Amino acid sequence: MEQLVSIEFPNISLVLPEIVVLITGFLLFSLDLFYKRLNHSLAISLSLVGYFIAFLLLVLNANLKGETFYGLYVRDGFSTLLQAFMVLLTMALLAFNYKYYKHKKSLYGEFYYILNFALVGGMFLVSSYNLIVLYVALEALSISFYILTALLKSDFNSKEGAFKYLMLGGLSIALASYGAGFMYLYSGSLDLRYILTHIGEKEYLLVLGLVFFLIGFAIKIGAVPFHFWLPDAYQGAPTPITAYMASVGKLAFFAPLIRLMPYIQEHFAYAWIITVSLISAFTMLYGNLVALVQKDVKRLLAYSSIAHSGYIMAGIAVANLIGLKAVIYFLIVYALMGFGSFMVLALLERVPHWEHKLEQFSGMRFSHPLLAVSFMLILFALLGVPPTVGFVGKALVFMALSFGKLWWLAFVMIVATGISTGYYLRIIALMFMRDSKERLNLNLSKGEVFTILSIVIAVVLLGALPIILWSFVSPSAETLFAR
Amino acid sequence: MEGFPFISVSMILPLVGSILILFLREELSKGIAVIFSGLVFLLSIVSLFFFDFSKTDRIQFEERYSLIPELGLSLHLGFDGLSYLMYILTTIVSISAILWSTRDHQISHRLKEYYIWFLLTETFLLGVFSSIDLMVFYVFYELTLVPMFFVIGIWGYKLRMYSAYKFFIYIFVSSLFLLLGIVSLAVQHYRQFGKFSFNYFDLINNRYSLEFEVFLFLLFLIAFAVKTPIVPFHTWLPDAHGEAPTAGSVVLAAILLKMGTYALLRFNIGLFPEASLFLMPIMVLWGIFSIVFASWFTISQSNVKRFVAYSSVSHMGFVVAGMFLLNTEGLKASITEMFAHGLTSAALFMMAGFIYNRLHSFNMQALKGSIKFMPLFAVLVAITGFSSMGLPGGSSFWGKFLTIVGAREYSLALAFLVIVGAFFSAVYVLYLLKTLYLDTKEESRLIHFTDIRGFKLVAFVLMVLPMILVGFLPFLFFAFYEGYIQSLLTYLSTRLMGG
Repeated sequence: MEQLVSIEFPNISLVLPEIVVLITGFLLFSLDLFYKRLNHSLAISLSLVGYFIAFLLLVLNANLKGETFYGLYVRDGFSTLLQAFMVLLTMALLAFNYKYYKHKKSLYGEFYYILNFALVGGMFLVSSYNLIVLYVALEALSISFYILTALLKSDFNSKEGAFKYLMLGGLSIALASYGAGFMYLYSGSLDLRYILTHIGEKEYLLVLGLVFFLIGFAIKIGAVPFHFWLPDAYQGAPTPITAYMASVGKLAFFAPLIRLMPYIQEHFAYAWIITVSLISAFTMLYGNLVALVQKDVKRLLAYSSIAHSGYIMAGIAVANLIGLKAVIYFLIVYALMGFGSFMVLALLERVPHWEHKLEQFSGMRFSHPLLAVSFMLILFALLGVPPTVGFVGKALVFMALSFGKLWWLAFVMIVATGISTGYYLRIIALMFMRDSKERLNLNLSKGEVFTILSIVIAVVLLGALPIILWSFVSPSAETLFAR
Repeated sequence: MEGFPFISVSMILPLVGSILILFLREELSKGIAVIFSGLVFLLSIVSLFFFDFSKTDRIQFEERYSLIPELGLSLHLGFDGLSYLMYILTTIVSISAILWSTRDHQISHRLKEYYIWFLLTETFLLGVFSSIDLMVFYVFYELTLVPMFFVIGIWGYKLRMYSAYKFFIYIFVSSLFLLLGIVSLAVQHYRQFGKFSFNYFDLINNRYSLEFEVFLFLLFLIAFAVKTPIVPFHTWLPDAHGEAPTAGSVVLAAILLKMGTYALLRFNIGLFPEASLFLMPIMVLWGIFSIVFASWFTISQSNVKRFVAYSSVSHMGFVVAGMFLLNTEGLKASITEMFAHGLTSAALFMMAGFIYNRLHSFNMQALKGSIKFMPLFAVLVAITGFSSMGLPGGSSFWGKFLTIVGAREYSLALAFLVIVGAFFSAVYVLYLLKTLYLDTKEESRLIHFTDIRGFKLVAFVLMVLPMILVGFLPFLFFAFYEGYIQSLLTYLSTRLMGG
């Protein structure tokens, strides 16, 4: 209350990256508005410049910490780290979206600025404790996603996916805001930090609020049993957008849950652990089991994305410091792996008659060695074979589970990973152990080769030398935990 | 050369070789692979002069590079007597497997990849045996799966893809339990000492309640029982070994199985002494059970590669049983048998591959008398067979004999059980030798067979020579690990006294 009285101009320097992205978005918007035929290379370069400036601002001011807008916006190591990866991944997306949409005959100028708005939504989502800000950011990100999903001309699946996503997305936001209402009733504040440390009467209001809030976000991250929209949306969406949802979307939607973790108090820790770990166990088992029988690789990877949400939830269930670190690490590396895997599919989609069928991958070692090797490494990372990032993530989650003595969940995770071996290996075996005479009719541009190679190198190198990412993850988790 | 980083150089050389192969012409890949694995072999021979055999209980050639200080994770490499012996075994087997591959008809396509995978395997194996940090050990342990998955799946025989899957899934899933065990150790270390560590020498200071120690022991055991393998966890092995190309089977049987027994000895016994003592009777009996059953399975095989594969399972039974006797003779027997079996199984798989090249069949019936017109080959195979059987003077003799002596220290009945196991394992080798030498067959087809020669001969002799050495001069090999065993036993008894 006191803050409202002493109104002074908010510290803008903390939100400069967001402002840059937003301004780029408006520039692109006016560009699209005033030019009848949008010059796509101009739009791409403009976005790239904007993102690059935002990225520089994030990296150069990496130590900048503080709150602004009267506590509505928080910049700390965690938000900077996640935002930097979001901006990087958005830049990576621009490396291959043009050719994809051109091939699909669906080049629209809207794509560019909606991408910016989605990014701004995501960036706010990772850097606030305030329920209203979270709500607005969630809406910004989700609505952008609905549009981006539907942005494929004359593709029925894209429309269906977008519609399903819209329906369940709306439900999730309704539930989350309902939960927010309960939490406000309980504490009289909209700040999660205050709500969760507040000791008031009628604690059932807090529990109810948390449950609805959790369910709202569980829908967004595709946790079982709230996952029904996800495979359809992922499969129907244009593949670059699928990559975007699996990376930036995951980063953004998980962030508020991660921010909750340090505030899980002793008196409701038990309920939290039981609920989240049960959801996590079902999510990883279901995702992997259903992925096992998929014949369509895009859908298979969508289910694998559900399973990975389960692994991350397992870390969230253990609300301790090592769990927090494990979750942040795993989340970032999943964003990398998910982006990489869907990017390979997006590139392959330019091959004539490509349908993402499993058999089409056979002999890719001969028909397109570069993509085959990249895809193999990414799949090994998703499986968790050392020395890739996926392995480090899983090892850290195991460590957290062992720390929290959640042995049963660790065993479930072993079983789930065991099941996942089946389908990842099948793709790898098809690519490398079958022969193929013809080469795929696919020419990659330099930018595409550069992007896919840098993702693959990051996936292997960050795993082989885990200290690189760890040195960012660990302090950011500690500041979160220090409250 | 004092202070020369033997380990990292031996690990980097094959990597360099594989990078060269990647960028040079395909015809050169054979030569590069032979040269680089040969260099590592020479390096291991040179290192013999710098290894201090009076201090085999200490870590020698130590190297340490920090990875994540906060989690106590470091690339900590070094050899004590046990791992040094495994290092020697790895370099010998790798060079002879690569030499063999250069003349193998099965390896006629995708040469570049093949030799890259083999050189990578060598690097990873050296990493497994030299890691002192458990997490790094795990990383290498898992990494060895990947090249072997491709080697079996691409260059194997008929059922290659199925076998490659089965191999990968069995080992990968079982080793996830190991991963859980390893991180739990680090967490326990944090609880007791306030910092995370994956270093073996830090983790041996951990103390647990007996229940928890047995739980951790079992987590480790699941992984290593599948890897070793012990009946009934062996079902991946006949497929993987049976369908892999000859050199793949050689590396699998000679070294990859040793990773399981090596780790059982080093980690299960070293880290969980109380649980080991608690479970000792079960483990010993389980080992003997494994010998007997695997021997029966062996005799009933009609495919000679599967025959040799099952015989490996039975030999591993001796290693496990000997190890868990937890006395000097038992441990000595176990380690000697690890080395000896590495040689004999490699040679037997080479035998199978060699005859396949002539007969194009792995069928035991087709093999009858097939060795008759290849005198040199026949002699080498005979030495291998008798070594494997455990005839005095053969390399496996010491393993079996000392296991019996070690078992006798506990009870006569136990020693008798081991003798029963030894009897069965002699039966199947005799059966194999009888099929190869004594059974008759129309000889007109066989007379054109050329004898073993060239690189294949070198590869085979590289296996047979150490076999004879182990058989006749065992003390040369005991020198590797006598100090290690003494210090291990002293450590165990102080731990069990409550120290």
